Amino acid sequence: MTVGSQVKSCFSSVKSVEASLQLLENKTQDPLAKETFNNVQKIITEVKDDLQKQVIQLSKEEPQYK
Amino acid sequence: MPEWITIILRSFTLLIILFFMTKWLGKKQISQLNIFEYISGIVLGGIVAINTIDPNTNLVYGLIAMFIWFIVPFAVEFFSLKSKSFRNFSQGKSTVFIQDGKIMEDNLKKEGYSTDDLLEKLRDNNVFLASDVEFAVLEPTGTLSVLPKKENQPLTAKDLGLNPAPEKEPQTVVMDGKVLLEPLANLSLNTNWLETELDKMNISIENVFLGQADNNGQLTVDLYDDKIAVPSPTEVPLLLATMKKCQADLELFALATENSESKQVYEMNSKKLQKAIEMVSPYLGS
Repeated sequence: MTVGSQVKSCFSSVKSVEASLQLLENKTQDPLAKETFNNVQKIITEVKDDLQKQVIQLSKEEPQYK
Repeated sequence: MPEWITIILRSFTLLIILFFMTKWLGKKQISQLNIFEYISGIVLGGIVAINTIDPNTNLVYGLIAMFIWFIVPFAVEFFSLKSKSFRNFSQGKSTVFIQDGKIMEDNLKKEGYSTDDLLEKLRDNNVFLASDVEFAVLEPTGTLSVLPKKENQPLTAKDLGLNPAPEKEPQTVVMDGKVLLEPLANLSLNTNWLETELDKMNISIENVFLGQADNNGQLTVDLYDDKIAVPSPTEVPLLLATMKKCQADLELFALATENSESKQVYEMNSKKLQKAIEMVSPYLGS
């Protein structure tokens, strides 16, 4: 696996985490838990955005290793 | 009227009257009754028994006696609720047996408790050494309530400085193969959700003996057919595992890359993810 694909797989995992958190936030009844899930989701979104930039940058750097 | 019909009629009437009387007298358990309520209960039963099996007694007299034995405890209970001093008089006060770790011998004597009785009561509370007790009080009902010294109390999350997530009660959503709609609504879920979850596990609702959903909307089921293995919910544990994996991956990337700018980005995000894991892990049950 090239570094590019590794980062890409990590990126998709983070996306899945974000979605799961959203699901839990919607399902839980406790307001405190809702808030925590929401805050954590915000952090994950930041991480996701950064990773996306990395993925784009990596594919530009070495387009032959996709 | 033949006597046996009288007996049947009396039995039914008295049964119904007694039923309502005991209902109105409250829901205390036998062990919680004070001596007065206990005796009036026995007397009421006795009056009913005599009036039922002996057709020669006057039913009206029986009813009057029953009424008296019902109304007095009822009134006592009513006034006990209103007045603290009357409550002290009718139900008795609690007596302190151990205070600041010291046994109050005078109070023991007053209540007629020997040292053996005290030790027995302490053992009932799983205390075998009297010096482990900070405070003990004999309740009016005759039970001993014990507060152990701080170092002998069970360890709680508070003692460890942990901050566990609040937990709501799980709801039973399927019972004997039938959907219970009200608990489902309490979790703001519907039958479609239940069907989807059961489909995911590949079981039909008729086979479900008991199904419960927790606060995170995870469904756990017990089936009639115990030979079928039921998958335990994986969504929430999987989420935490994925988060940990991503965090580890990011750390790895940070170590592997030679581009200092990328290194910084990876390290920062790894820290962010670590913080996120710490925040969310109490809610994911680990």
